[in-house]
This record gives sequence, structure tokens and C-alpha cells, in this order.
Amino acid sequence: RMKYFTRMKIRRVYEWSGKPRSFNRRLKTYDYDSFAISVEGLSKIIINTGQHILIEGYDEDNPYVAKMKAVVQWFMRVSELPVNKLKLLGRDPHPQEIFYYEYRNCDNEVNVESILRPVKHLDSNDPFPDSSDKDTLYVKLSWDSKVFGVVNSTVMESPAEPAPASSPPSSTPRGPSRRVLPTPDHAIMQKASLGEVGCSSVGTPANVEAESLHSATKLSASKCLSAKRRNATARTPGVRKRLELSSECSHKDFKMQPLCRIREQQGFLYISNTKSPEVENEKSPMVTETPRSSKRKSAMLVSSRIKKQLNLLENHQDLNSSGEEEDEFVPSKNDLLSSSEEEGQDEDGPNIDDQVTAKKFRYVATGSRSSRSKQKSYSSARTQRRTPAKKISPGTPKTPRHATPSIPIRSLQTQQPANILEEARTRLHVSSVPESLPCREQEFQDIYSFVESKIIDNTGGCMYISGVPGTGKTATVHEVIRCLQHAADMDEIPSFHFIEINGMKMTDPHQAYVQILQKLTGQKATPDHAAVLLEKRFSNLAPRKETIVLLVDELDLLWTRKQNVMYNLFDWPTRRHARLVVLTIANTMDLPERILINRVASRLGLTRMSFQPYSFKQLQEIIMSRLNKLKAFEEDALQLASRKVAALSGDARRCLDICRRATEICEHSAADPSSAGLVGMSHVMEALNEMFSSAYITAIRCASTQEQLFLRAVIAEFRRLGLEEATFQQVFVQHQALCRIEGLRPIGVSEGLAVCQHLGACRLLLLEPSHLGVLQRIRLNVSQDDIFYALKAD
Amino acid sequence: YSEIYLIKCSLFIIHVSVQVQQILRERFCERRLPDRPEGVEAQYKHLLELLRRTAIHGESNSVLIVGPRGAGKTMLLQCVLRDLQKEEKVQKNLLQVHLSGLLQTDDRTALKEITRQLHLENVVGDKVFGSFAENLAFLLEALKKGNRSSSCPVLFVLDEFDLFAHHKNQTLLYNLFDVSQSAQAPIAVVGVTCRLDVLELLEKRVKSRFSHRQIHLLSSLNFTQYLERVWTQLSLPDSFPDKKFAQEWNAGVKTLCEDKSVEEVLQRHFNSSKDFRSLHMLLMLCLSHVSVAKPTIKPADLLEASRMYFADATANMLHGLSILELCLVIAIKHLNDVYEGEPFNLQMVHNEFKKFLHRKSNSMYNFEQPVVMKAFEHLQQLELIRPVDGSTAKVQREYQLMRLTLDHSQIMEALQKYPQCPTDVKQWAMSAFG
Repeated sequence: RMKYFTRMKIRRVYEWSGKPRSFNRRLKTYDYDSFAISVEGLSKIIINTGQHILIEGYDEDNPYVAKMKAVVQWFMRVSELPVNKLKLLGRDPHPQEIFYYEYRNCDNEVNVESILRPVKHLDSNDPFPDSSDKDTLYVKLSWDSKVFGVVNSTVMESPAEPAPASSPPSSTPRGPSRRVLPTPDHAIMQKASLGEVGCSSVGTPANVEAESLHSATKLSASKCLSAKRRNATARTPGVRKRLELSSECSHKDFKMQPLCRIREQQGFLYISNTKSPEVENEKSPMVTETPRSSKRKSAMLVSSRIKKQLNLLENHQDLNSSGEEEDEFVPSKNDLLSSSEEEGQDEDGPNIDDQVTAKKFRYVATGSRSSRSKQKSYSSARTQRRTPAKKISPGTPKTPRHATPSIPIRSLQTQQPANILEEARTRLHVSSVPESLPCREQEFQDIYSFVESKIIDNTGGCMYISGVPGTGKTATVHEVIRCLQHAADMDEIPSFHFIEINGMKMTDPHQAYVQILQKLTGQKATPDHAAVLLEKRFSNLAPRKETIVLLVDELDLLWTRKQNVMYNLFDWPTRRHARLVVLTIANTMDLPERILINRVASRLGLTRMSFQPYSFKQLQEIIMSRLNKLKAFEEDALQLASRKVAALSGDARRCLDICRRATEICEHSAADPSSAGLVGMSHVMEALNEMFSSAYITAIRCASTQEQLFLRAVIAEFRRLGLEEATFQQVFVQHQALCRIEGLRPIGVSEGLAVCQHLGACRLLLLEPSHLGVLQRIRLNVSQDDIFYALKAD
Repeated sequence: YSEIYLIKCSLFIIHVSVQVQQILRERFCERRLPDRPEGVEAQYKHLLELLRRTAIHGESNSVLIVGPRGAGKTMLLQCVLRDLQKEEKVQKNLLQVHLSGLLQTDDRTALKEITRQLHLENVVGDKVFGSFAENLAFLLEALKKGNRSSSCPVLFVLDEFDLFAHHKNQTLLYNLFDVSQSAQAPIAVVGVTCRLDVLELLEKRVKSRFSHRQIHLLSSLNFTQYLERVWTQLSLPDSFPDKKFAQEWNAGVKTLCEDKSVEEVLQRHFNSSKDFRSLHMLLMLCLSHVSVAKPTIKPADLLEASRMYFADATANMLHGLSILELCLVIAIKHLNDVYEGEPFNLQMVHNEFKKFLHRKSNSMYNFEQPVVMKAFEHLQQLELIRPVDGSTAKVQREYQLMRLTLDHSQIMEALQKYPQCPTDVKQWAMSAFG
């Protein structure tokens, strides 16, 4: 099944009907001989090859007329003919008259979505009936863009019976395909249209030419439409049948053609339309020229339907493939010559190759245009081919495409805290988010009002927040967002979209684009593509629905040599319609001055805020608020912890960790854990010692005798040399002497090296690579005083 | 009959001896964990409690186990994990991820390994799909989705933790510690390292997120305890099938440990290094002397083992040199004495050698320059001498500056043992001036 949505008021659904008639191996496409259009509320229309159809054009009331073959045979309406050329007709054209358009240089592939419906068509020999049936068109003459001619009856082979418009025709089998008239003045026309290429103008009708090549349907997203000429002569009649649908677009359409993904699953086809929004503004006009054979001029209006029959296909090849495949479109420019050659070869494909495993589809789109005023036309054609993106060989495992990130669920329930200390420990964990952040009221207020004002004013802006680690920067911003979200839910402020990225949580600064895009739209893209999409999104004039608040944590890691990531982040908010608020967080206050080049720093602006390290009172308040009146700590113990941390770093995390560790020590020191008392000074003291005291002194005290001697030897040698560096050989001499003084047996060189390496591994010594042996240089990593202190107390 | 009895007996002895070898070898090769870690009870309890809280309460933690090489860091961790797994509540509630800084040399491979060991959904078979960026995003998303009460706690063991700190931006460490400090899936990060200054390696943001919990394994072992350890390491367990043999063996070990010369040797080992890996190596050398014919360890075995253990490999290499090469080494030694360790080149060495020949040699002949050069190159190949850094550029080989990588004591020691060393060469070596 294929679904396709046009952007007309009426939604049409297109789908293939019947089984594929043949399979084109080379192009991996299927050929169908009919497809159905169902309009909402109306019944389904099946369009078969050979039928005449109306194709959407500039003039909504006068859709272009064409005939479905493998490709499309275009017809001209009277209104499309140049007025001065109408004289050549020698009579008044019938309003319903159309002319077989013989000019070959137009596109004969149309986009399915531009097909409106079938129309009835009468043969050239019949006189114009008086009926006012607007759904019937008459073909009498042909028009080759210069003169009218008589339609070759073989070409115009009319349907045996026009079927009623609304009911699907019982697909009457027909002879293979229609021949197409050779174009007499092809070469001339080619020249003419060559000259024409540059001056395409608004309102040029497109010539779409229908060609019957491979049967069946090939749909392709039409991209393209540079003025490319199709060479129609290479068409081979008969056997090859293909329905190629082409759409004509103006140059502007180039990129905006819908991209289609066809996905085949268990025998069904889905064509999903991933139109870019720009497409919506465009129309794909189709023009046909009608041959002159009727004299009546009439306005051929909207819902005329011509039905024609089509050729049923000879051989149905049932090519059911199992397995899921996804193909992607790769646009390729083919002119007709090459494509028809390919098609010719492809014809043989299925016969030669034994079993086809995969169904692939091709969606061909072409566009054409012709200059009406000058009676010259050229066509631009480009076919877009879908090439198989992946061939899944049976052996390899399938890539998990939609793996959901998750951690297994635990099998046993978590235990709830059993006593006061455990409860306190849970509350003191950094991860337990408090309801409100104490001690950051001013900062909270500033950020809140900044973001709120931007949201209300529908503008954008940047803010830079700095502060040493553990001062609540990220937590405060999160709380601001929580409050704003709440306000938005209460309808106090317009709703907004919050996105957070963290420089540390990405592998490369450019991944920032990918993450922003993904959080914004859910799309996945490469960094470059994501940057382009975001750029477009933020510079787009269309007003955004809601403001985006972007939090960039660890900003300094987004630094690149050209600083383009940062530049973009700060540039987007300045766009007029971006409505982007960027909050950036980093550690150093002078980051913009230090690492940002001027144009980036300038865009960051001067809205800055710095978070001071917590004072001991604030730390105390934070712990108190977390404990929330839980009596687990002695007053003094808390004060000790907070004073100590405030003196060292003012890092709230550290303070919480110390208190948490103190509860553990308290619990362990008590004989019975359940009856443990309050956490006292001694417990906090022990925790502080554990965390802040350097292990060097203990390490030296715990080292073996020879290791201690070696350290002394190092100091002795440093003193002798007056330098802070010596080779092993020099130190070793001192070491031997010390051994003798201490009454120990002097050690060998290799043993001495082992001792040295051991100290080096602990980083009490700094060593050169060990392969240098006795030549390696030695430096101390601890102060000499520490070593003396450690060894004296021994 | 008696013959059959004898054969049976010998078969039995062979069997017993094989068993002894097996039990002790497992111990010395650190294939079997001790029943209880000795001397580190406090650390054991701390770590056990910490990991148990992660498993049972879902409390996120991070901890570093720091201690010198051979101090039993991994042993401690393994014991804790083994004992944790015995607990019903923990058994099915703890996922483990083991990483080593020597294996996962960058975050890309580390992430793949984590994903693989956790069996997340982007793993098929043993393969992890997706790019580095995708893997990171996937893992973080997975951890973020979890919460304290419902997700299975994950234990991350980072062996050679200090090497992870050298990864670019410390992305992995930042993210692991960040998860451990935020309301996401409960994780415990256990780093194992021998560097005492490991915290200084952490970037300030990473450091702030680390809980600063460190478990130091610094043994304040004295010699009596050390001797006891030797004794327990060598003695057979009560569960040994042949009780009588076990008793005899243990008694033998006891007398061994009380032997004066053995004590001296062990004291020397203790002085040199307190770590048990080197002790195990020494005992392993003893154990390999145990056979069916000699089912005990004699003090002489330990002395021999100790001699082998302390043997100087570089000095041993001197025994294999030719007389000419040895002479060159001696000439270099004299040059070093005269010029106080300044680098030398072939010409200087050859000159020194020629001076010696000129003065007093009767047993040696002068060699052609190419022969001397060849001998010199051989010394360089053995890395007894090594070119001075940066002088390799475009200097002729004869003039390339070199340094000796031997200590004088090594040369003298080797000379004493050198077989059939000419006396004048020996004298030359010992004389104060060339």
C-alpha cells in the first residue's frame, strides 16, 4: 500500500492496486499497471495505464491533461496554446478540446501527488458532441509547439469504453503499449529549447510527456528539476511499460520536493511522506498541450474525468520478499536516454536472475517546463532513484534499531531506612533533591526574572552563570525551570520548552547540535546536518509557537578552535524570531574574556551571574534544611563540618559527603547500631581526617625499611647536589652508605631498583621510565619536611 | 606382598605430594581468595557496608581503594564481592561491571565494554552497535531513566583507576560520578589504584562529584606478624585428607620458621618489601624443591630461593661477556671514575684499553679497531651501555657518546665470579687508576 498526502484541500490517498506486474532488477523497482486514488469522502478511483488523467497545474480550474502510459503523454488545452498560434487551427477550438502534444522535449514523469483524477477522452474521429459533460475531452489534432497536425490514430488509441468516472474500471487487458509518434522536428526543437533554458519564467507551462516504459508503478520522490532535458527518442515501444509519474516544479522547488521513503513490509508498501515544510508553499504545476482537432473552445473545468484503459501486464511476477527492508532515496540525474537504456536492460533482468529477494521501489520524479510565450519549451527532468541503502545479508545479526535505554529492574524491593541515622543518610545524599534550595534566593530571583521576562516578551537572550563546583548552579537553574514550568501550567506565563545539554556528557563539541536537535524535534542527524537544520529553524521567519529555554552546562567544553559551536549558541538568540533563551554554566568567572574570541564574547552579552562559594552559615543551613528537623547531629558537629568545608572549598557536595560519612562512623562506633546516639564532634572529626588528610605520611610510615632508607638517601643526595633531582646511581651510593650506618646488609642494584619502583608506583617518588635502569632520574613528590616528620615519629 | 605395599605407599606419597603442591600453588599464585582478609578488617567492613547499602537501599556511592602494589586491594574487593554474593538480598540485586585502565584505554572502548557487560538493548551477541556518541547518549539515558527504588544497582569496578583519569576530558569519570550524585539509577563506583595522589589527577568538576571516600590499604605489619604470615601461608589446612602427613608438614614448617638463618633471610625480605606478592614468589621457589623424595622444605631451600630471588640479572649478564668485552667495560669504569660519570665514546674507551695493554698486559693482545667496535656494539645491544639522548643524530659510530648502565659494585661483583679471568685484568679493574 502506498499512502501519499497532497497538500491540496482534498486529501488524496494513493495506493498501488493489484500485484506488481514485473520487477526491475537493476533499479530494484516494481512495475504496476494501475494505482488507485481515493479521495476522502469519495469512492476510490483506479488509474490504469493508458488512461487519461488530469494533472494539477497553476490553474486550478484547468488541470493539465495527460495520458497515463508508462510515462505520461501530455496534452495541451486550448487555453495553453499561444493565442497567435490558434489561428493556425482555422476554426474555433472546442472548449473541451485538447491537443496531443508531440513535442518531445518535455518531461514525461509526473509526481503521483499531482495526479488529480482520470478524465474521459474521445477519439479524434468523433464530432464534438453537444453534451456539456465537462468531464469529457476531445482529441482531434496534435500540437508540436509549432503546427497542428492530425493525430496518428495508433497513438491516440482510445479506450474501448470510457468507464464511469466514479467507478473503478474493470481492468481490461490491453495490448502492450502504445507507440509514440516520432517527433519530426526534434532536433530543431532541441536547439530551440536549448536556447530557452536560461529564461524560464513564471507561468511557463510544463510539458509532461507520458511514456510507456516499464509497467507498473514507480514512484519516486521528485527532487530536482534543474533544467535538464530528456531525450525522448530513445524510447522503445511495446514491451516496456512503465508508469512514470513526473511532476513539474519551478526552480524553487528544487529541494522542496517531498522525499518519500518507501518501506516494504510483508508485502505491503508504505510510502510515507516526509515533506519539508517549505513544500507547502509551492505548487507543482503541470501543463499539457492539446493537439488541435476539435474546434470548440470551452473551459475545461475542475472535475472532469477521463477514463482510459490500460494495458494489463503480461506477466505478473510474484516477488514476495520476506524481511523488512528500508530503502532510501538517492537523487540521481538521469536523462531519458540513459534511463531508458537502463530500463531496456532491466527488462531482461528478472528473466536472467533466478530469485529476487527484495522488493524495492523507485520513485521517479521529473519536472518540465516550457515557455509559453515563445512557444518553446524545454524540459527539466531529473529522476530520482532510490538505491538500496542496505542489503541485509542473512548471516549478520540485526541491528537493534529501536533499542530502549534502560537498566534492568531490581528483583527485590529496596529497604526503607530503619533508624534515624539511616534516614539522615538518605536525606544527606547529594542526589536527594530538596523542595527548595536555601541560600540561593537572590540568584534564583535573578535567573527567574530573566527567563520569565524573556518568555513573556517572546524574545531571546543569553545569560552566563559561573561559580566553583558544588555551589548549586545547575540545581538553581533547574529549580527556576521547575517554578517556571509550574507557572506555565497555571497559565500565568506562556508555555515554553526546556532543553538541557551538558558539555561533559558529549563526546565532541559538535554533538551539541545533535543533542539539541534531538531534544527539540526528536530527529536524529549528523552534527553538520543538525547544525544546518537548527540554523534554519532559528532563522526561519515563521514565528515559533513557544519559547525555547536552553541550558548549556559545562560551557567551556564546547570550546573548539573556531568556536563555531559557541558562536551559534549565542547567535541564535539574537535572531528576530528565534525566541531562544540560552543559560550557560561554567566554572570560571572570566571564561568569556579568557577563551572566547571577541565576536563570540560579544554575543554572549553582559548578563552574568556568579555563584559565590557557600559560607559556613549557608552550609549549615543547607544541612539543616535537608535534615528537616531530624535530630541526628549535635549542633557542634554540624558547625565543625561546615566550617571546615567553607574554609577549604565551599563545596556543598563535600559538606554533605562528610556528614554522611560521619553518620556511618557513628553507627559503626556504637556497639548496637539501633541504639547509636547523635553524631558528635569526634565522628565528624574522623570523617574529616579520612577525607582531607593526605595519605603520604601514613604511607611513608608503613613503607618497608629499605623504602624508608631510600627516601632518606634521596634527601641526602639532594642536599649534597643542591638540586631537587638526582639519578638512581647517585642515590644508590647514598643508600649503600645509609645501610652501613643502620647496620643493614647493603642491597644489590636490582633490589634497589625494585624498591625505587615501588615508591614510584605510589607516587612518593617521580621517576623516569624504568628501562633507563640506573640512569633514571628521581624527584620527590612529597616535601622533604613530610618525610622527616614521618620518619622521626617512627 | 611387601613390594605391592611399597608401590602402594609410594603411589600414595606421590598423590599427597601432588595435593600439597596444588594447595600451596593456588595460594601463592593468588588463584584462591583467603577465607578472611587479614590485617584489613576495618577496610573490609567499610567496603562491605558501603556496597551492601548500594545493593539493598539503592544508595549511590563512590569510593577509591588506594594502596601500594601487592597490598591486597583487589583481594579485598574480591573478598567483599564474594561475601556480598552470599547474601540472599544482594545476590540478584547487583549488576557488576568490571573495567581495567590497562584494557579500556579510552572512553570509547570503556563505554562499549560497559554496555556489553550490562547487556543493554543495543547489544546483540557480543557486539555493541552505534557510534561513540550514540553509545554515551544511550548509556546516560539508560542510567537517567532508572531511579533509586526500582532499578537494579550497578557496581562499577575501575581497576587501575588512575589511567581512567588520563582519558580525554575525563568524560567517563564525570558521568559515572555525576550519576552517583544524582537521582538516577543507583550505582557504586569503586576505583582501585596504587597512586596516592590520585585525587590530584581528577579535574575539579569530576573531583567535586566524587565523594572523597578513600580506603587506604597501608599495612603497618611488623616482622613477627610477617613471620606468622609466612607460617600460615605454608601450613596445610585441617581439611587436608591425610591428617598424619599434614601434621608432619606443619611441624616441619614450624621448625623452618624458627630456624635462625631462615629468619635472617625473611628479615631481609621484610626489610626490602612488605608486600605479599614478593613473599609468594619466594615461597613458590621453595615449593618447587618439594618432591616425593623430599617432602619437606629445608632451610637450605629457602636460602637458595632467596639467593635466586635477589640475583642481579644485569650483573649476571656480565658473566657471558668475552674477555675483550669485559676489558672494555673495565675501561669504561675507569673513564667514569676519571671523568665523574661524563659520557664516553668508543675512541676514548679504546684508548683507555690500549693504555692498559701498553702498561702491563702480558696475557692480552691489542685488537684491531673493527673488532673492538664489534665488541662495543655488542655491549650496546645488551644495553650495558646506552647512547646519550639526542646524540644519535649524525655522529660517526666511533664518536657517539654513551653512558654505562651498570653500577661499579655490579662490575666488581661480576668480576669475582667471572670464570678464568686473567689476573692482570682483575688487578686492572681493582686498581684505583687506569
